[in-house]
Amino acid sequence: MNPYMERKVELRWCEPKQSYDVVIIGGGGHGLATAYYLATRHGITNVAVLERSYVGSGNSGRNTTVIRANYGIPEAVRFYQRSLDLYQRLEDETDRDLMHMSKGVLWLAHSEMGVRQERARAEINQAFGAKTDFVTPEEVKKLCPPIDLSGGGVWPVMGGTYHSEGATARHDRVVWAFAEGAMREGAHVHQRVEVTGLTRVGDRVTGVETNAGPISAGVVLSAVGGHVTRIADMAGLRIPIRTHQLQAFVTNHYQLQFDPIVSSSDLLFYVSQTARGEMLMGAEIDRQPSYSYQSGHPFLRATAFRAMTLLPFLRDLRVLRQWTGVCDMSPDYSPVLGKTGVEGFYISTGWGTWGFKAIPASGEQLAQLIATGETPPLIAPFALDRFRRDRTLADRGSAGTH
Amino acid sequence: MSPGNGFRVDGAEVVFLNRDSLLDAMLRAGLHPTGGGCLCCAGDCPHCLATVDGVGYVRTCQVRAASEMSVSRDHQGGSYPPLSLDTPPLTPDSTGGPVRYLHCDVVVIGQGETGRAAAAEAEAQGKSVLALDVTEEAEVIGIYPGPLVVARSPAGMLHVEPGEIVVATGAAEIQPVAPGSDLSGIFTRRAAARLAAAGVELGRVVAIGEPPTGLQCEVVEGTLVRFEGEGSVSAVVVATAGGAQRSYSCAAVSVALGFQPRDVLARMANGIGGSLRVRVIGEAAKPADVPACPQEGIVCPCSQVSVAHLDAVWDRGFREMELVKRATLAGTGTCQGGVCIPYLRSFLADRGAELQSPFTARPLAKQRTLGEIAAGAYYHATPRTALDAEHRRLGAQMERSGGWFRPWRYADPAEECHAVREAVSICDVSTLGKMRVSGPDALELLERLYPTPVSTLKPGRSRYALLLDEKGYVLDDGLICRDERADGPPRYRLTFTSGGSTLAELWMRDWAESWGLDVRLMNQTMSLGAINVTGPMAAELLFRAGTQTLPSFGGHGVSRVAGVSCRIFRLSFTGELSYELHHAAGDSVALWRRLLELGDDLGCRPHGLDALLRLRLEKGHILVGQDTDFDSTPRRIAHEWAVKLDKGDFVGRLSVLRTNRIPLDRQLVGLEMESPAPIEGAVIWHEGEFAGYVTSSTDSPALGRAVMLGWVATVDGDATLPAEVTIADRPARRVATPFYDREGQRARVVVETPAPTASAVAAGRGRSNATSLPRLEEVGDGSFCRVSLSRVVATQAAISELAEVFAGEAVCLRVAADEILVDAPVSAEQVSDPHALVERESGFAAARFAVETAADLLRATCEWCLPESRPAFAQGSVADLPVKLWLEESHVFFLVPEPFALELEQRLGEARS
Amino acid sequence: MSIKIPCPNCGERPLEEFLFGEVPVVPESITDPEERDFDRAFMRSNPEGPVVERWFHVYGCRRWVTVQRDTRDETILG
Repeated sequence: MNPYMERKVELRWCEPKQSYDVVIIGGGGHGLATAYYLATRHGITNVAVLERSYVGSGNSGRNTTVIRANYGIPEAVRFYQRSLDLYQRLEDETDRDLMHMSKGVLWLAHSEMGVRQERARAEINQAFGAKTDFVTPEEVKKLCPPIDLSGGGVWPVMGGTYHSEGATARHDRVVWAFAEGAMREGAHVHQRVEVTGLTRVGDRVTGVETNAGPISAGVVLSAVGGHVTRIADMAGLRIPIRTHQLQAFVTNHYQLQFDPIVSSSDLLFYVSQTARGEMLMGAEIDRQPSYSYQSGHPFLRATAFRAMTLLPFLRDLRVLRQWTGVCDMSPDYSPVLGKTGVEGFYISTGWGTWGFKAIPASGEQLAQLIATGETPPLIAPFALDRFRRDRTLADRGSAGTH
Repeated sequence: MSPGNGFRVDGAEVVFLNRDSLLDAMLRAGLHPTGGGCLCCAGDCPHCLATVDGVGYVRTCQVRAASEMSVSRDHQGGSYPPLSLDTPPLTPDSTGGPVRYLHCDVVVIGQGETGRAAAAEAEAQGKSVLALDVTEEAEVIGIYPGPLVVARSPAGMLHVEPGEIVVATGAAEIQPVAPGSDLSGIFTRRAAARLAAAGVELGRVVAIGEPPTGLQCEVVEGTLVRFEGEGSVSAVVVATAGGAQRSYSCAAVSVALGFQPRDVLARMANGIGGSLRVRVIGEAAKPADVPACPQEGIVCPCSQVSVAHLDAVWDRGFREMELVKRATLAGTGTCQGGVCIPYLRSFLADRGAELQSPFTARPLAKQRTLGEIAAGAYYHATPRTALDAEHRRLGAQMERSGGWFRPWRYADPAEECHAVREAVSICDVSTLGKMRVSGPDALELLERLYPTPVSTLKPGRSRYALLLDEKGYVLDDGLICRDERADGPPRYRLTFTSGGSTLAELWMRDWAESWGLDVRLMNQTMSLGAINVTGPMAAELLFRAGTQTLPSFGGHGVSRVAGVSCRIFRLSFTGELSYELHHAAGDSVALWRRLLELGDDLGCRPHGLDALLRLRLEKGHILVGQDTDFDSTPRRIAHEWAVKLDKGDFVGRLSVLRTNRIPLDRQLVGLEMESPAPIEGAVIWHEGEFAGYVTSSTDSPALGRAVMLGWVATVDGDATLPAEVTIADRPARRVATPFYDREGQRARVVVETPAPTASAVAAGRGRSNATSLPRLEEVGDGSFCRVSLSRVVATQAAISELAEVFAGEAVCLRVAADEILVDAPVSAEQVSDPHALVERESGFAAARFAVETAADLLRATCEWCLPESRPAFAQGSVADLPVKLWLEESHVFFLVPEPFALELEQRLGEARS
Repeated sequence: MSIKIPCPNCGERPLEEFLFGEVPVVPESITDPEERDFDRAFMRSNPEGPVVERWFHVYGCRRWVTVQRDTRDETILG
């Protein structure tokens, strides 16, 4: 009997209407969470989420499911800690098993400069409520005995940070919980509905054109991943986003014996064991812009090698599957969300490699923005106009990998 | 058949016969690897999995039995094997195992006659063919863009680049889905035939559908209803066309339910863009059979998903193949949908969805271990300066910094600091980026790249400069130095931070090209060593080494130090009198040792990076990358003095103008407080609010307190900065930098040149080692040594002329249209371009290999095709290092920047063994 | 390892030997010089399809190559 089968969620589909108060483009975690919080926090249910494929088919179903808040700047630590807190309560709130597991993130340093960076990470995290401590190599070994502290004799572990609240959850379950919760309150989610244009009256966006006909809307939110530039173009908007590939792979399933999420900035990889027992590994984005979902061998080979270096037991595990997502990167490696300067059109993008961990906070905050028309303080730093205002967010902590 | 040896299954011996697979032998011994489930004997199903020699998820039907093998039945009843967390560590020379890079016209993937016929046909057309046949244990794990076919063979991993891919992988037999399908004694038709041929006794066999060949069995008509039995099958129930059910008792069942093409590789290949030629032939090309929608039973044995489970999620709104997969996890196990895809399709079609395509085909088509996949992978190489061995010999703790190995500290960094402040010390700064620039437009290029005026720089002088990007953010910093000669267009030497040289080079080349400027650029980072001699007695030490002239502060010039020709830059990062000696890297060791000897009684000792970072902090000098962020404008780091907005256009100027109009939000400032110094990264508070964080911090012995650089937010949205802040719960003050020697008297001290002493004259007669290095043609076989070459950057025409002049006389390596390496002395007069940069260069190491050895090495370390003509020059990645090859009839010369030579030698050594 | 970039100095080389360089494209509709500068610095056209870009051959000749690449499937178009 497979304990990982989805047994509760019920998705109720219906036909699109011609008009909604809110139309959300993109049926991934971010779009669905926004619909969920609009319905559950603000009673706004005349909402449609439009998904051109099936729900969670983009990055929401391709990411490596890490939840953490150990970022490098106050704005990000606060925001992701809010998201982490929401995630911790989400199973109770939705009464759904999201396979949420607190396992801790161990971030390793292999040089004096790396140690310095990890100490700094712990400082800024503690100052803004994220539970991150500097750990010595001996403490690393205690937290994760399989780690080879000598790093294969090449990349010795000199210290690191331990972010005790770091967690994982099953990505699809999160998507479905938000979808179901929104649907239950009366919001619509439409699969196989692709937005082909935005309708505008003067400077205001008033609806969308779709393959299922036009739909008018009080406001439109773009919560798409990977093709946000196309949507922004429809609104006549230039955005600071480049789309890149991000790859990952899993091994076969093994007994659950490996606890923390282990990450190394120098070796550029991270690894965790999924709730189902696969060892899951990823690395950094590819440098060149790409919309291709084609997986590559250089990534697989290099990541396998680096991961084995710190965790020798991985060597004899068989790789099951590799895959690719595309992610939207902003110039300062921070998200872009909120008002756009175009009336009736909001945006949620720039989620780079950390979109999954942001889903609840992003949904909650955007729902508040849509409901009130006022940008909540938690997301004000991430506004699109920060580039023009010279208020970019230089977060070296998030320029990492997951 | 003769009896073979035995292997062990869960500790007990199992005897095998010649040519037995592990599965054959286990079945013969009455052992089903997973306890039950329909076996296919073709690598398609998950029912013969076991852990073999410590590796789980091995399909025992695909592995030839051999003695000493150890099998654990970890997968019984669908359970997952344990992780062996105590695996021994990798060793420093681990590379994952051997790999071979191959090229061919056609690769034929598959088994059986169709594939063999296709291979023969292609060979008959004169094409080079590589057949990857699963019966010879060659397993293709993936087809990637390129195209690249990655396969595992008994000899190691193969990376094949074919012109055409022929997929002849055949078809898998569809597995039965019915109650009892997890019993043992159930076989696909082909499996039953194969086992019978191998002499495995199956007992009384009932065949559903077409019977297996070479086997006595009872053939029954009707459709499968269920299997019955305890552990193993004892009867099978079928329904006739009329609906009546009938039970047949048996010891084994053969099922023939149709075929699913093994088209994973074909679909993977077709998903790749470009003009990849893929041909799918034979059974792999036939459309899949769609079995009848099952009524009950396990559809996905890997994830234990039943028909009832599918119905449950269907009823709750999961109505697309992908959603059904994700909700039930059917198809996500080790057979990747091999068993369940036909039934998922028939189920969805039966319930009212359209007939859906299989899931996207993703690597890996065949599973291999991380260890096998890592074959041929390398760590990102960390270059070593010419003094690397010296530092290690002196007991230095080495640190990867700015992409290089650097000495972090030799012993006590406080003593190293003390030597700098009170006596004299030397530091290996060879890692600094070093670039020469000449050409008619050299000044124009620098003027447009740098925010500081360049035209006012006088011959023989240098100037600190920031390098900005288009956003007006600080990219790097360093010096602009103008050559001494006053005639002709000016020439420059630039320095950049350690690790910044590649970025600076590509940045400069990109802009020079896009502006169409006529310049020559030569990156000398790897070919020049640099030693900083610093401390109150720095000049004394250099005079002792026979130096006759020393530049004044801000100047530079050529002089001999201990017989080594050096370009000496007078500047100061430490705050003390400092001379930076740039010299041919081949002379670094001699120069370093001589300076330590001559300075011994002055208290001269080397200092490492740790001490250097403290010393410069006392002077308030920023470190790009540590004290700057990637959005640091000159104003934010309080370096507006390094920007002249009225000098004309430069990269970043409009951005600086734009951002300067916006109120300042934060600034990098000097801070001090009572010791102990807080850690770097400590948060700075102002009146209980977050104000910023410390970027650099040290206790200053010279000042008796802690000094810091840090980011501090402005107050109330205007440009006011707080004077008092709190760090680590203690008060700290904002102060002007530098902290130490505010007037800079120590760095700028005027030095008188003394009359040379006899011992100084003697010391000055030391010999330059770089000039006596071997030429390329003189290097020996197999081991790398530093060589001497001429390096010329000039117009394309001048380089072509030079190549003709030396043709036949010396090896000429045409690195680029405007750059050449010549294995002979070249003088500036021999180059027709007056702006040419001509250097005698000792930055490369070389070794010679016999052509067969070289070919083997290259097949194991690089994927590109070598030129066929001889002699020939090629350059690119070999063992993930930047290598140049000179290929002659009988020998191949390998050249590599010397900082990578040790690494290359090790990597080639591994490839050979 | 496998997608190849044609280098005029070194021949067809694996993409992994190169560093990526972008060629920013500012729409002609933006005419104000400062606005163009801002757009060039921060905004991106991010096209799905052929795009002109630069690759620096850091493992070989250390020169730039200008190529056209399709961002939909990573094919190098020359």
